[in-house]
Amino acid sequence: MLASETNMGMKGVRPSGSSTLWGLMLLSTLALFGATLYAVFIVAPVEMQMGIVQKIFYFHVPSAYAMYLGFGVSALGSMVYLIKRDPKWDALGVAGAEVGTLFCLIVLLTGPLWARKAWGVWWTWDPRLTTTLLAGMIFASYLALRSMGNAGEVEKRFAAGLAIFGLVDLPLIHYSVQRWRGVHPTVITGKGGGLESEMYWALGLSFLAFTGLAILLIWARAAIERQRDETARLRFELMHR
Amino acid sequence: MRALTVAFVLAITMLIAPGLLAQDEAAEPDSTSEQGTEDPADERAAQFVGVRGPDAEQVPGGALLLAAYAVVWALLFVFLLRMRGLQRQTADELQRLSAEIRASGGR
Repeated sequence: MLASETNMGMKGVRPSGSSTLWGLMLLSTLALFGATLYAVFIVAPVEMQMGIVQKIFYFHVPSAYAMYLGFGVSALGSMVYLIKRDPKWDALGVAGAEVGTLFCLIVLLTGPLWARKAWGVWWTWDPRLTTTLLAGMIFASYLALRSMGNAGEVEKRFAAGLAIFGLVDLPLIHYSVQRWRGVHPTVITGKGGGLESEMYWALGLSFLAFTGLAILLIWARAAIERQRDETARLRFELMHR
Repeated sequence: MRALTVAFVLAITMLIAPGLLAQDEAAEPDSTSEQGTEDPADERAAQFVGVRGPDAEQVPGGALLLAAYAVVWALLFVFLLRMRGLQRQTADELQRLSAEIRASGGR
């Protein structure tokens, strides 16, 4: 919807991709979210120790995965931008950073709501929590840098370097529960007792839904960023005629 | 000579006095502990007080779950609104630039 609106409103700017594909993906994602909600609240059983609050897990973990996806895309876009200096890769970097930060915020807010019941505290300096907060702060710095007026070439390159630096933190988040002692659960990282089959179904559907959502958001945001870049270029040309 | 004697006495007093005082202080807890064991009834609870505040609360799992799901949808909604705002801002800017180009006789 956003991509098509963007394309309609921007005559003369090249469309960002197939609107049909975007629409199909949107419908699929919405259907997946419907199935996920059904699986989470109807099919998956209530967890014995934690009770109903455990169901936060079905949105918390896929949000973390979508965060990896966003930050990974941002770092990839930034790397290619530094090599090719093509603005479309820079737009991808910005889109990935914004979407990744959105999901990081979701992870950092839903996690404490679960922890309050499970651990008795809102926050603890567990390795995984700390490294996730660190990643969020790195990419928030990236966005702060890019939001300072019209970013010039130097700001874009510096921000790209920051995104690549942020990429280093992602494996630390993932492997922190295996390498260091902490209190974070390890039910899907091979160290815990695992999940019941209905729980796996609910989690799997949620993973698919969040992947679709993250791709759609990155896609739409990158299209808008390309158009903003094009507008800035036109403004610059008009001023220097 | 008298001053030297006074200084010597003072120095000795300062060296010995803290040691003697410390012994007295160390002896005092013994006497109190003895008193404490003399009357064990004082150690018993004389009243029951209901716990109030954070220790008394039952953590509401349902409310926390609802809050978590509300956070997810609210943040997604805010993000979509922001994207829509950016898109409108860009479209307006592009229209303004197009009008400017037309006015200046450019393509």
